[in-house]
Amino acid sequence: MNELWPTTDLDPVRRLHALAAGVRGAQVTEAYLDAPFERVWSLLGDLEGGFGQVVTDMRRLRVVRRQGERVEALARSRYGMGARLRGVQRPGWCWLQSRFLLIGVAATPEGLGTRVAFTGGVRLPSRAALVPVGVRREGARSVEKLTALL
Amino acid sequence: MRHVPDERSDDRSVRLVRAAQRGDTLAMAELVDLLAPYVGRVCSAIALDQGADAAQEALVAVFRSLRTLKDPGALRGWVRAIAVREAVRVAHRAARTVPADLSALPARGDPQLAADIRDVLDRLSPEHRAVLMLRDVEGLDERTAAALLGVRTGTVKSRLHRARDTFRKAWTS
Repeated sequence: MNELWPTTDLDPVRRLHALAAGVRGAQVTEAYLDAPFERVWSLLGDLEGGFGQVVTDMRRLRVVRRQGERVEALARSRYGMGARLRGVQRPGWCWLQSRFLLIGVAATPEGLGTRVAFTGGVRLPSRAALVPVGVRREGARSVEKLTALL
Repeated sequence: MRHVPDERSDDRSVRLVRAAQRGDTLAMAELVDLLAPYVGRVCSAIALDQGADAAQEALVAVFRSLRTLKDPGALRGWVRAIAVREAVRVAHRAARTVPADLSALPARGDPQLAADIRDVLDRLSPEHRAVLMLRDVEGLDERTAAALLGVRTGTVKSRLHRARDTFRKAWTS
């Protein structure tokens, strides 16, 4: 009988909202983009390319290790801090943390377009909490940059 | 198809909860992946078309209060309680209708099982669906289900009886 009951698979954007709820100070910026998922993710999924152009905090991101969905990257943020980011990346999903940074990106197809969501910011060292400065503005800027690149 | 549920969460879940409670957001991300299918099942059985909304709200509630979970081994039951509560709430918010009159169910002929289950579920109230799911999918006894829904055991028994009766009629007529 179990397999006859209705079920649902939570898309990455919904999962991002859930996760962000557990991070104090985090804001989620969500937007609908008039471009197919494949095109959006070809940018966002490219950690050493489009990702760094869109996520406002990042520049010169270099992937140093990848094992399945697990990824480790070295980044230099615009604050000049070097960061070793560790996390998970798969189509529609990227969640990376370092001691001082947190970045979450999600995308899911919606109709002919794509719904995207961003969260993250400067982390209180090793905690599930962000410095509550500019987190909303950063998300909005990521959406603007992504839209301009599409 | 009844089974005795393993109420204690496994070592991996316990490890993830502890790491998440210490502030490791990668452990939280792994926990989302681990819990999403389960929460999706519980919420869809109760909130039906609003299942995804309910599951999202349930997981938001889970992560917002994860720090308060004192015994990580009790994760599954704790998450289940939150998921049931959120699913019932979302289903009521969406429906804003009078509870289904179970006695008005028409007899069904030649059932295509999955379609019929969905049809019957549509006609039950969220609380009836919750009772049925907790008992038949989760394998809980009436007392536990009653405690979870905040109603008396007798109420659960009568709801279960009526819900199962409805199913039986739908399948066998």
